[in-house]
Amino acid sequence: MHSLARLNHYFIRYWRLFVPGLLFTMISAIFAIAVPVVVRQAVDSIPRFEVLYRQFQGTVLQHSLYWEIFWTLLIFGLIIIGLSLVSGLFSFLMRQTVIVASRHIEFDMRNTLYDHLQKLSASFYNRTKTGDVITRSTSDIEQVRRYIGPAIMYSTRALVIVIVAVVTMLIISPTLTLYALMPLSILGVAIFLVAHYVHKRSEALQRQYAQLTSRVQETLAGIRLVKAYAREKTETEAFEEESTLYKSRMLGLARVEAAWRPIFVVVVGLSQVMVVWVGGRLVTEGVITIGNIAEYIIYVGLMTWPIAAFGLVISMMQRASASSERIYEVLDEEPDISDGSRTDYSVTKLRGHVKFENVSFRYAEGLPYALRNVSFELHPGGSLAVVGRTGAGKTTLIELIVRLVEPTEGRILIDGKDLRDLPLSVVRESVGYVAQDLFLFSDSIGNNIAFGTVGASEEEIRQAAFEAELLETVLEFSEGLNSGVGERGVSLSGGQAQRTTIARALIREPKILIMDDALSSVDANTETRILEHLRRRQGQHSMILVSHRISSIQDLDQILVLDEGSLVEHGTHESLVEHDGLYAQMHRRQLLEARLEAIQ
Amino acid sequence: MNTEKGLDRRLLGRIIGYLMPYKHWVILAFCLVLLVSFLGPLRPWLIQIAIDNHIVPGELDGLVILMIALIGVLALEGALSYVNAYFTQWIGQQAIYDVRVRVFRHVQQQSLSFFDRTPIGRLITRTTSDVEALADVLSAGVVVIMGDMFKLLFIAAFMFSLNWVLALVTLCVMPFMLLVTLWFKRNVRGQYRETRKQVARLNSFMQEHVTGMQIVQLFGREQVEMNRFEKINDQHQIAQLKTVFFHSLFWPAVDIIASTAIGFVLWTGGVSALSGAITVGILIAFVQYCRQFFEPIRNLSEQFNTLQGAMAGAERIFDILDNDQSLPQVEKQIPQDRLEGEIVFDNVWFAYKNHDDGTPDWVLRGVSFKIRRGQDVAIVGATGSGKTTIISLLMRFYDIQKGRILLDGQDIRTFRLRYLRWRIGLVQQDVFLFSGSIARNIALDSPGITLDNVKQAAKAVGADKFIGQLPNGYDQDVRERGSSLSQGQRQLLSFARVLAHDPNILVLDEATSSIDTETEQMIQRALERTLEGRTSLVVAHRLSTIRYADTILVLHKGLLREQGTHDELVAAGGLYQTLYELQYREQEQLGASALVTEG
Repeated sequence: MHSLARLNHYFIRYWRLFVPGLLFTMISAIFAIAVPVVVRQAVDSIPRFEVLYRQFQGTVLQHSLYWEIFWTLLIFGLIIIGLSLVSGLFSFLMRQTVIVASRHIEFDMRNTLYDHLQKLSASFYNRTKTGDVITRSTSDIEQVRRYIGPAIMYSTRALVIVIVAVVTMLIISPTLTLYALMPLSILGVAIFLVAHYVHKRSEALQRQYAQLTSRVQETLAGIRLVKAYAREKTETEAFEEESTLYKSRMLGLARVEAAWRPIFVVVVGLSQVMVVWVGGRLVTEGVITIGNIAEYIIYVGLMTWPIAAFGLVISMMQRASASSERIYEVLDEEPDISDGSRTDYSVTKLRGHVKFENVSFRYAEGLPYALRNVSFELHPGGSLAVVGRTGAGKTTLIELIVRLVEPTEGRILIDGKDLRDLPLSVVRESVGYVAQDLFLFSDSIGNNIAFGTVGASEEEIRQAAFEAELLETVLEFSEGLNSGVGERGVSLSGGQAQRTTIARALIREPKILIMDDALSSVDANTETRILEHLRRRQGQHSMILVSHRISSIQDLDQILVLDEGSLVEHGTHESLVEHDGLYAQMHRRQLLEARLEAIQ
Repeated sequence: MNTEKGLDRRLLGRIIGYLMPYKHWVILAFCLVLLVSFLGPLRPWLIQIAIDNHIVPGELDGLVILMIALIGVLALEGALSYVNAYFTQWIGQQAIYDVRVRVFRHVQQQSLSFFDRTPIGRLITRTTSDVEALADVLSAGVVVIMGDMFKLLFIAAFMFSLNWVLALVTLCVMPFMLLVTLWFKRNVRGQYRETRKQVARLNSFMQEHVTGMQIVQLFGREQVEMNRFEKINDQHQIAQLKTVFFHSLFWPAVDIIASTAIGFVLWTGGVSALSGAITVGILIAFVQYCRQFFEPIRNLSEQFNTLQGAMAGAERIFDILDNDQSLPQVEKQIPQDRLEGEIVFDNVWFAYKNHDDGTPDWVLRGVSFKIRRGQDVAIVGATGSGKTTIISLLMRFYDIQKGRILLDGQDIRTFRLRYLRWRIGLVQQDVFLFSGSIARNIALDSPGITLDNVKQAAKAVGADKFIGQLPNGYDQDVRERGSSLSQGQRQLLSFARVLAHDPNILVLDEATSSIDTETEQMIQRALERTLEGRTSLVVAHRLSTIRYADTILVLHKGLLREQGTHDELVAAGGLYQTLYELQYREQEQLGASALVTEG
């Protein structure tokens, strides 16, 4: 429950809604509780009226008495309606303040969470599943909101109703009150237990549901093998087994959930029986009136939900507490890459000089080095290629430059300064990064390109699209640059998506342009043209190209060949071919492949 | 509108059809519901008798019996409504189980071309969450709707039997209750839809930005994206607040209407009491009926909502069930104990899909070859030349468009699928492991394969060594963290798997990924051991395999271009020569250098 205390500042922030809200709750409850009193008065008056009416039977007065009684009873009826109208009005106001406040808090919490998520670095995202983050920002926040809004509202209302009702009942008859409340008192406990077990069993059900899903997932992912070994029957049996288990979990939940209604029916019913039974005796003894029985029956009905609410609220608070713990787990996470005390804010622009000094990197202690002892220097306006097999450490090298990760040993200098001392925003502003992963937002192509720079003009977007060899293709689409990109870029071909990510980097006019295998999905001709555009920009930026294709990088100033994290060869295309090592071998293979492809 | 209704009814009929096997239970549940619906309104009636006949006249003797009867009714109602709530779920879950297994079986039977076209995620949704939506209808839906309707009838009947004037007065309020409920449902349904839309927007923004957080950060877009998020969050809030507004109006309105009914009952009841037509007990009973009336009305409108939700899911499920793309199976069975293993491809044309203009996108164009019994054949070719396709066709994962594939002189379409695949062993490039133990992954729960067979097979391919080093040996769970197997070990497992199943023909797609020399040699030995005495067809990536082969088939762009032994083909100096240089020469050099260093 400690984590719930951390939410208190939200109550303070919205006290303007909570204070009147709780006041409305109380007023509404008090008016609701007044209804039975009027009913008692009415019920009690009826036999009296009846006797009176009979006494005047046959007299002239009887007629006017009839109308007298008629109007009195109508007024009773109208008072009941009036009371419930006032109670209803305040219950409307109560929801419009307390629940609205809880929605405001939900809004604030979600903004805070997202804001914090934007600050967290790659290491957090590497160890946290996307689904997990989303759960925290949706259902966990909702659980917390239920505590802030409904739970507090219900418990206030419940408290007022129960106190007022019990006091009124005690004044009428302590004995009858005792009997009437006996069954009701177990209601709160019973409801708490049912809510508790329903929650527990729903979680068990959810786990089995996940199990069932992964069973289907596995069969379908391995469908070739399933068919090859004619394993359909065993798979079906396994699925049936999981389904049976799911069914029994479901029925296990049903066994608890089925108790909801009977608990209410039996508890409330027993209270009524007690009221009639014990009350009946008391009426004949003359301690209470018959109207009191009607009154008590309504009280019992009125108190049912508030008492049940106590049980629910405790269960809600348990869940909210667990949820807010999960939310604060994220909020308490400190970003491990950010500006620090040594950050030199006088730097506002970079020239694009990159120098690695004996840089080594590994993801964690005990793991093998992803990059070992790499040194090189790239002058402003120069170009550099990185080649090597899959897993050679090319992407790691790139991620070090944009400071997505930091060197384990050695240091990286940009314009002669340690990368760690430069403001993160300046570094990232100066870099145009085209990642291997073709991530696009589900927005228009134009907006995806403009993502690279805030407030880009139409002309700039066109220019960037042109240089990425995208403009011509896109203009053929019916909506041009306004054509939407489906979720994660599905409606674009791989090559088109890739060129969009290139345009997104180019529009920034970066001082350092980095392309991580960014031409893999475009055909050879387009690639040549893109490279030509880039060459025209030569001198404006330093360029680092990671590639599998020798043909696209052979003109660059220097080429680094990485193998298992180490820099094994370094030089120009000619010198490396001469050297006849790994690079020369790759080069030969690619020439052969091209020859084979050409055979019809 | 009309056709839509008709469609719904047909759908509903089909859904209810799944309840037919349990119709006796459904009838029983229905009777129980009827009884519960009767017992609820019975209680105020009993209380009325207690008040009018015993309390008011002061005759307490009979009260005890009546109260005991009331407790009895209460106990029965409680017990029955518990049994009933559970029982309807039980029936629904039985039916749901049937539907689920049926969908699963159906999906599993589809041919591979179906799987090529349908994303797995969609199929998973069909077998899980869409089926789940049906559960609401099958379990509670029908029975509960009936129960609520009867409850309304019973309450009305009791009211009329007590006093028809008051009954009419109470019923006067009913239309307002109905109106308010309908008004609320209509508004709230639209609002729920809007809220769901906003929640989905929020989720997809989150999903997208958490996935692409690196891009957001690298491009320094935090502020802009924060503003966008706030806007979406705000719209979500607005939608929620509107829903809150409707709720804030609805619940007080219900209370007011119920109280109005009480007010009217007291007024008219009190006035009629003057003529002696109404007693205090009747008044008190009506006060209770006024409150009881509302519950079934609200339940009914909720039930109709879930019913609509289930319809959408049902439609998607039936779409899958009605669309059968499993391969046609012949009835005629060929009684054979084992295959000889002679394979003939006779002018085989095959396309996975059509071009946009409808013409087939041929992957194989008139491929013909013959493999005699016991021969080892290697297929070579560049990526995309159609090598793996040949293997898939032999396993009959797909049916060909033109030509014939013969096994022992018989068209493979005349074999029972199960038998065909049973006699052909497949080793795939990336080895798929099922969750479960090592032993289970070798035996695949196939009948007749004992643990001894498993161990023998593992030993024969040399997998027993690494298995012995695992903490739990053959019982080791392959998916457990920390026990992940290396690529080479997975390969050995798949050889053990195929050996344990002792097929007559072996088809093998060699792994391309590089493995260390020691494992390479182990796999080589395992391969030779597995090929012994079987006809084999191997998509070759290793030099040793093509050297070992009796015949090499050279595929290029869907055509069988060359055929012969390694030496013949090298001597011919054609396509094979280039391929050999590209894919195998390096291995030869590495092998040579390894020899040199060893020497």
